[in-house]
Amino acid sequence: MRVERLDTDMLVLGAGGAGLFAALHARRAAPEFEVTVVVKGLLGKCGCTRMVQGGYNVALAPGDSVERHFMDTIVGGKWLPRQDLAWRLVEGAVERVHELENELGCFFDRRPDGTLDFKAFAGQSFDRTVHKGDLTGIEIINRLMEQVRAAGVCRLEEHRAVALLPAADGSGIAGVLLIDMREGVYRLVRARAVLLATGGGPTMYRYHTPSGDKSCDGMAMALRAGLPLRDMEMVQFHPTGLLAGPETRMTGTVLEEGLRGAGGHLLNGAGERFMLAWDPAGERATRDVVARAIYAEMRAGRTSPMGGVFLEMAHLGPEEVARRFPGMVRRCADCGFDLAGGRVEVVPTAHYMMGGVEFEPDGRTAIPGLFAAGEDCGGVHGANRLGGNGVANSTVFGGIAGDSMAAFLEREGGALRDPDPAALEAAIARCERPFGRPAGDLGELRERLWRVMWEEVGIIRNATGLARAADELARLAADLRDLGLAGGGRRFNLTWHNWLDLDSLLTVSRVIARAALAREDSRGAHYREDFPDSGDPAASRFTRLRLVGEEISVETVPVEFSILRPGESLIEEEAGAPPAAEAT
Amino acid sequence: MADAGTADGPVLDVRIWRGTEKGAFVRYEVPARANQTVLDVVTWVQRHREPDLAYRFACRVGVCGSCAMTVNGRPRWTCRTHVKRLPAHRPLVLEPLRNLPRIRDLVCDLEPFFARWERAGGRFVPTATRRDPLPRIAPDSTARRAVDAGIECINCAVCHAACDVLAWRPEYLGPAPLNRAWTLVNDIRHGAREEVLDRTSGDAGCHACHSQASCSEFCPVGLAPTAAIAGLKRASLWRLLGGSRA
Repeated sequence: MRVERLDTDMLVLGAGGAGLFAALHARRAAPEFEVTVVVKGLLGKCGCTRMVQGGYNVALAPGDSVERHFMDTIVGGKWLPRQDLAWRLVEGAVERVHELENELGCFFDRRPDGTLDFKAFAGQSFDRTVHKGDLTGIEIINRLMEQVRAAGVCRLEEHRAVALLPAADGSGIAGVLLIDMREGVYRLVRARAVLLATGGGPTMYRYHTPSGDKSCDGMAMALRAGLPLRDMEMVQFHPTGLLAGPETRMTGTVLEEGLRGAGGHLLNGAGERFMLAWDPAGERATRDVVARAIYAEMRAGRTSPMGGVFLEMAHLGPEEVARRFPGMVRRCADCGFDLAGGRVEVVPTAHYMMGGVEFEPDGRTAIPGLFAAGEDCGGVHGANRLGGNGVANSTVFGGIAGDSMAAFLEREGGALRDPDPAALEAAIARCERPFGRPAGDLGELRERLWRVMWEEVGIIRNATGLARAADELARLAADLRDLGLAGGGRRFNLTWHNWLDLDSLLTVSRVIARAALAREDSRGAHYREDFPDSGDPAASRFTRLRLVGEEISVETVPVEFSILRPGESLIEEEAGAPPAAEAT
Repeated sequence: MADAGTADGPVLDVRIWRGTEKGAFVRYEVPARANQTVLDVVTWVQRHREPDLAYRFACRVGVCGSCAMTVNGRPRWTCRTHVKRLPAHRPLVLEPLRNLPRIRDLVCDLEPFFARWERAGGRFVPTATRRDPLPRIAPDSTARRAVDAGIECINCAVCHAACDVLAWRPEYLGPAPLNRAWTLVNDIRHGAREEVLDRTSGDAGCHACHSQASCSEFCPVGLAPTAAIAGLKRASLWRLLGGSRA
């Protein structure tokens, strides 16, 4: 098998908010070292940061404070976040937004007097979400892309990372095995330091929002490298994804939160509103409550023709809807739906993974030389992520990781090490597996994965269903191993990459199902109908999962309340304290 | 023209370019669906007929600009082009974007597009640091409105493929890089506004544009690079005449 070899100093896997910020910071902090970015698509044109609509939470408004932002993050995360990470997030967001504007050239929306505009987002005690219309991600990633291209960073575009390779002497990370997707060859890149920043993206669910390139490759690689992951049961569902039927990539894409906030109605198949039975706030209830209510209607069979519910805006006046939500109305119109004047079918859709690799506030992981940042990581958001904290997480910790990698090289030199030959061989064998086997139906396998995750490991869970899911996921893993590809070409062979996507997704899905079984309470994004109580916050534990051979090990670990305990607050006055209610 | 399989029920007659510079159209019959974009058609062919069909997409919702192709002779984003909006009773003909090197099948090399973006000075040069307060800038100032008019470019290269000048003058910077340049000339925070004018005023810059406006006609997000290029032309002429920037 052809393996081309190259060496670099700092290797960044991923080119979203985390990867690009890391590359920029690493390059600036240590210009004598080479930085190489690996990305599955084109630099700046794939991944999820670019898709951010809402905005970026930062405590900059007069009267707001990082303490308040911290409290909202902890309360919203149901006391499960690792508090030093949450603190680093809220503090870092202030610096990062200044950097984005003053040094990278982003421009966030202003009020008529020229000061920053802050949007209100659910679950927060203050209006603190800065934004660029409802296309905040494009502004951030376009400006980052321009700076990274000019910074002398090496690029490996349309390259997919498939394995984190340990050093033969066991001293840390040696490098990463990549597939050059265009050429169809393997590249072994040795590096002194490696950043895992490929993003999460729960695309193992039938309905999902992330970019099509997302397949949890980073978490799967981390698991295979022996790293512990935490909070993997915490998968956030957005209540209103577009339902456009099977076999269209439009299905699952987000119809924004603001539509409900503005007074949109959710109607079941019979045309009746149902949200008021669930929450006095009706359609304006938080994401988790609305997603569960819609799912319950669906389970009861009260569905729209394609199996979801209806979102209706027309009572607000079609012209007013078109004026306030031009992007959403245009997107629906392009897809053949009339959002302003008609009813659009919607369904809850898997959106974000709060869980991921355990990491330190400076980006280090348990493997020397390997750093991690962004949605690959767990611990920042706990049981639930606030809207607007996702892009803050990736950009804050990406930049920190870039600085840390540079400091690591300056301090320790970080020798280039040879990878463990057995690990390299095993990684190539795994990728080569589908070639030469009889071609099977990858689409059918994907549908089975989507179904079992949606039905048994989705919005409402119970022990029986999770056990069934574990069995089916094991069967799927076995079936994938026996499933081959038609034809043997490796150049730009998307079906080969679909196979590899499923391999990663299955690995991570098994871990999600295992974590969901281990958490015997209902908290934030995780809901067990057989354990509906949320439990005592003071006795909070988080799940920690590892892959040991082919088996998953799970333990639950007490949350360390390193800054404050449940019931305490960093905010003295009552007014403006974080809401006690569920936060999204 | 090869024929690669049929399907039951109402079908679309689809022709897809296979190969690189050399290649051929291959005909497919794809099941018609009530809700179906051009990207869905391509996906169906990959999943059911041609496992190694090369195409590119990412976000599915019109923000990443990865999936642009030539659809019935016109450059379009395929994730938001509904099949129903295309003329019925005619084959759906899919090719890679024009004016770019081809990698395989429907995939182009976008590097020449981004290299032009850089050549046009398309990068913010700071005049402040992260330790400075954020500047107060009125959103309705003339300069800021000029930036906002062009800033939401998704770099899909549809305008690049639509541009006839680029077809016969490959050294031309092209609409999207010039559009970005104009946003920087109007960004009062930008530290290299004169340099942007230097870079975009040469023979391969704004003056090469013949104002045929295909870029503005085809831009999927409704930007008007033609207007930005006109702005650059005015500003560079002002400068020649010794005046200040327009």
